[in-house]
Amino acid sequence: MRGNGTNMTKISAKNVNVFYGSKQALFDVSLDIMDKEVTALIGPSGCGKSTFLRCLNRMNDVIDICKVEGSIKMDELELNSRKLDVVRLRENVGMVFQKPNPFPKTIYENVSYGPTIHGMAQSKSELDQIVEMSLKKAALWEEVKDRLDEIGTGLSGGQQQRLCIARAISVSPEVILMDEPCSALDPIATAQIEELIDDLKKEHTIVIVTHSMSQAARVSQKTGFFHLGKLIEFGDTEKIFKNPDNQQTQDYITGRFG
Amino acid sequence: MNEAKRKLLNKRYRAEANFKLFGQIAIGLALLFLAVFMYKIFSKGYTAFQKTWIVTEVHYDKELMLIETDNPSLEDLENADYYDIAYKAMTRLDPSLPEEDDRQLIQMVAFTYEQEVKNHLLKNPSLLGKIVPIRLTASDDLDQVHKGNYPRDIPEEDRRVNDYQLKIYDILNERGDILSKFNLSFFTNPDSREAELAGIASSFMGTVFSILVCLAFSFPIAVLAAIYLEEFAPKNKFTDFIEVNINNLAAVPSIVFGLLGLGVLLAVFNLPRSTPLVGGITLSLMTLPTIIIAARASLKAVPPSIREAALAMGASNMQTTMHHTVPLSMPGTLSGTIIGLAQALGETAPLILIGMVAFVNTIPGTPVDPAASLPVQIYIWSESAERGFVEKVSACIMVLLGFLILMNLAAQIIRHKFERKWN
Repeated sequence: MRGNGTNMTKISAKNVNVFYGSKQALFDVSLDIMDKEVTALIGPSGCGKSTFLRCLNRMNDVIDICKVEGSIKMDELELNSRKLDVVRLRENVGMVFQKPNPFPKTIYENVSYGPTIHGMAQSKSELDQIVEMSLKKAALWEEVKDRLDEIGTGLSGGQQQRLCIARAISVSPEVILMDEPCSALDPIATAQIEELIDDLKKEHTIVIVTHSMSQAARVSQKTGFFHLGKLIEFGDTEKIFKNPDNQQTQDYITGRFG
Repeated sequence: MNEAKRKLLNKRYRAEANFKLFGQIAIGLALLFLAVFMYKIFSKGYTAFQKTWIVTEVHYDKELMLIETDNPSLEDLENADYYDIAYKAMTRLDPSLPEEDDRQLIQMVAFTYEQEVKNHLLKNPSLLGKIVPIRLTASDDLDQVHKGNYPRDIPEEDRRVNDYQLKIYDILNERGDILSKFNLSFFTNPDSREAELAGIASSFMGTVFSILVCLAFSFPIAVLAAIYLEEFAPKNKFTDFIEVNINNLAAVPSIVFGLLGLGVLLAVFNLPRSTPLVGGITLSLMTLPTIIIAARASLKAVPPSIREAALAMGASNMQTTMHHTVPLSMPGTLSGTIIGLAQALGETAPLILIGMVAFVNTIPGTPVDPAASLPVQIYIWSESAERGFVEKVSACIMVLLGFLILMNLAAQIIRHKFERKWN
């Protein structure tokens, strides 16, 4: 699968170290994420790929004992800085979680929440438009357009996850982070989400953490392999899966461990 | 399967059967105690909801009432003299009785009989000059005789109803002139020294006001404290210390809060003694930790994934809390609040200390009027020697229990109706 990337670096991480209390979770991770491409992060459980992902929208701030060192630049903005306004950052970097977590509110309210708190719509009709656009982009519009006032948690698992994607793209973020977005879904819902990811990369830079190597191979242009908190290998997806430089990567993708 | 294994298996089944049996016995015992308790209260108290009346005739005689005008106005009727006609209405029951023994008949009705005669006329002024039947509240002793709660076979000098009065009662009863009707005045009258007139209106209103004051003070403070501690406060030694002390506060005996109310609210702030305002504030000290604990527990029960979803959308901490966490925790907080209030409802000791035990024969209209409360009313009546109060105690307990059951039911309904299942 070829990327349509602009060959511009969107996010550049340099020597990122993360500590949970005295335990170090990431060791000197450096990688560049290209604009309008899908970057997949793979590796066995506990390897630090989710931790790295959560550095990109500062969700690690929620954890008191978590400390991040190093430099993460998005365009020219230093993300790992005390002065950074995390509310503004998260407006630009959306996130989709492992378990679908729609708000226990209506479908409409789920999608309109972001635009409302960020003051993106001047009128009700403008808001309606944003909601419709977002649901269409998330390939959910046709299924829910007649029941926007139903509770979001009443949808099926796959629909809930697409609702979460619609919610994430409602504020038109430049970057979307996905933390194992299909791990709770069945194969059909997974295929729908993967198709969606392919569409979304036209307008958004996507970083996806996944346990499924075939998924990484299908959706991504770049892949990073993490093991025990270290980035073992990072490069074009094709190369990583066909001809990795590192023996550990080779072992992992051929299923010899992990 | 070998022998040892079969034995082990049987043992395991037996253990389970025994455990079930013990559980059933425990529940059976609990239900038995409850049934005995309820039976005692209901069998003693249900008669309090009936009131006994004596029917006689009254002659609204203008001359005896000292009315001089031909067309008396309502004001004239208001100022008329009812002593003689009321007295005559009673002595009419036994004209043969020598005059010096009249008191024996008068004692068979409540001391307010003159007022009752007056009120009857004021309601129907057209009765003036006529001889009409009227029903008068029977004295509490006669009331107890009629309800069969008073033993008639003890010696006359030990009885508060003498042989003559019993004889008159029997004649009247035969004639159908003893009535038994629903006791509305039990709910509309304030407390009284006379059992036949005593009601729960003042203590009921006192309880309602106390609970409202308690809610108004404890709910906002407790919910804000819980939200701050759970969502905003840093987790350190100091907040741990606060948490331990909130839990300690919940375990402090209520009488200590009563002393605090006495020493601070009454002595320092000079708030009016014996009022639901002071009672409610004192109770709110007790309710506060209960609500804080319930609110924190239900905030904790909101899954972190909802907080993460809101934060990842760029909501601030405050927005995440107010838009998502707090609304989702409200059902739990509310049912915790109601349970806290239900506890406060039954509190007696702190209210006695702040003077809500005073005899109050007016119905409070505001939280700063003196009042009693239902549990204190039970306490006051149970101290009374008169037989008529025994059934009142049980009846008051029934009202209090009804109140409690309603509140707990409300808590259950809120919890069930708004309970969310997190998938």
